[in-house]
Amino acid sequence: MNEKELLQHYKTTGDLSALGKLYSPYMSLLYGVCFKYLQDPDRSQDAVMQIFEELIQKLRHYEVDNFKSWLHVYSKNYCLMQLRKDKRTTQVDIEDNLFESEQKLNIDDESKWEERDFEKLEGCMETLNEEQKECVRLFYLEQKCYKDIADLTGYDLNKVKSAIQNGKRNLRICMERKENGK
Amino acid sequence: MENNYQLSRIHNYIHGLMSKEEMFQLEKEALEDPFLQDAIDGYRLQNGVDARQLSLLQQRLNRRVENTIATRHAQYYTWQRLAIGAAAGVLFVVLLALLYFKHFNGKAERTTDVTLSEPENLVAIEPLLDGGDATPVDGWKAFEQYLNNQVKDAGNGGEIIINFRIGKDGLPEQIRAEGAPDQALVNEAVRLLRSGAKWQGTTGRLKITFPLKEMKNSTQSNIIKPPHCFGVEKQGS
Repeated sequence: MNEKELLQHYKTTGDLSALGKLYSPYMSLLYGVCFKYLQDPDRSQDAVMQIFEELIQKLRHYEVDNFKSWLHVYSKNYCLMQLRKDKRTTQVDIEDNLFESEQKLNIDDESKWEERDFEKLEGCMETLNEEQKECVRLFYLEQKCYKDIADLTGYDLNKVKSAIQNGKRNLRICMERKENGK
Repeated sequence: MENNYQLSRIHNYIHGLMSKEEMFQLEKEALEDPFLQDAIDGYRLQNGVDARQLSLLQQRLNRRVENTIATRHAQYYTWQRLAIGAAAGVLFVVLLALLYFKHFNGKAERTTDVTLSEPENLVAIEPLLDGGDATPVDGWKAFEQYLNNQVKDAGNGGEIIINFRIGKDGLPEQIRAEGAPDQALVNEAVRLLRSGAKWQGTTGRLKITFPLKEMKNSTQSNIIKPPHCFGVEKQGS
């Protein structure tokens, strides 16, 4: 059974072993996500198990299209709720969350680029700030990894990462605006 | 599995074991896959992938899944048990009802149900150590067994204390009863000892308990035996 069939099977039968099969491949990624927010090995492990417990109920009632991204958002929210319960101050980068919500939009548009799109892109590149322009260019055009970019530019690795993420988003917004403007 | 493949990539990425091209490839994927990006961020915070942790997690998940399946089976069997229990309950009620009716019908005969309990039905022996050192060659148990098999007529039953000596041939002699017990008891005790097993030691002193019989049978037991059968020598001890 593939993922979709497993989901459907679980939804109709409540067969926990199907849910286990569905969940198991994501556990290591989930652990990483939980650790990012909870920053404690034991709590992260418990969170992974607790999320599973919640899925037992939720997946029988919710219609889930894309299990992977649904699971990601669900577990992220779960961890943030945990942190809120702790009343601990959390430092969640809002850029990450923006980046997140755009995710679904940019799946299918990779192939249909034409010459004028590249011209548009060049124009949009100019609207980015220096950091973003530099990092996006190095990453997407010269295909350098973050570490190399950090070495070349002298920026911190995290700064490189967010510059690329933000630059990518700004480019998208710019491209869409030009599209609508024509 | 895809998952483990990703995991080893994350591991290699964090520990700088990747070529630049591989690093770029993973970074590009992560840009399109926030789940992957988050996981990478997490593992970087943890300074690496701990495979042991993850296999523990896998075990926890397996246990969780198995437990539920086991619980469901247990519940299933519980339903079976309940059904059996219910059937047993119905049978029990029916039985009670039957007994109840039978009890009413048979009330008049109920007195005949009085029975002698098992131990009282048996001949019991108790060696009295203050007056003897005799033991049956085959052991007390065998002797008691013999008494129970061979006892015929012990009058109304009751206790009797018997003293005797043990001859050179190991057979009891000079058998006499203590006190003034029922003659039938004395007769039976002497008969049993005479025809019984051999003994060790020099003198014997036993308490023999014969089962009590109902009074209405007592007339039958008072059969007068010829005097030579008595064989009891009255002696002062």
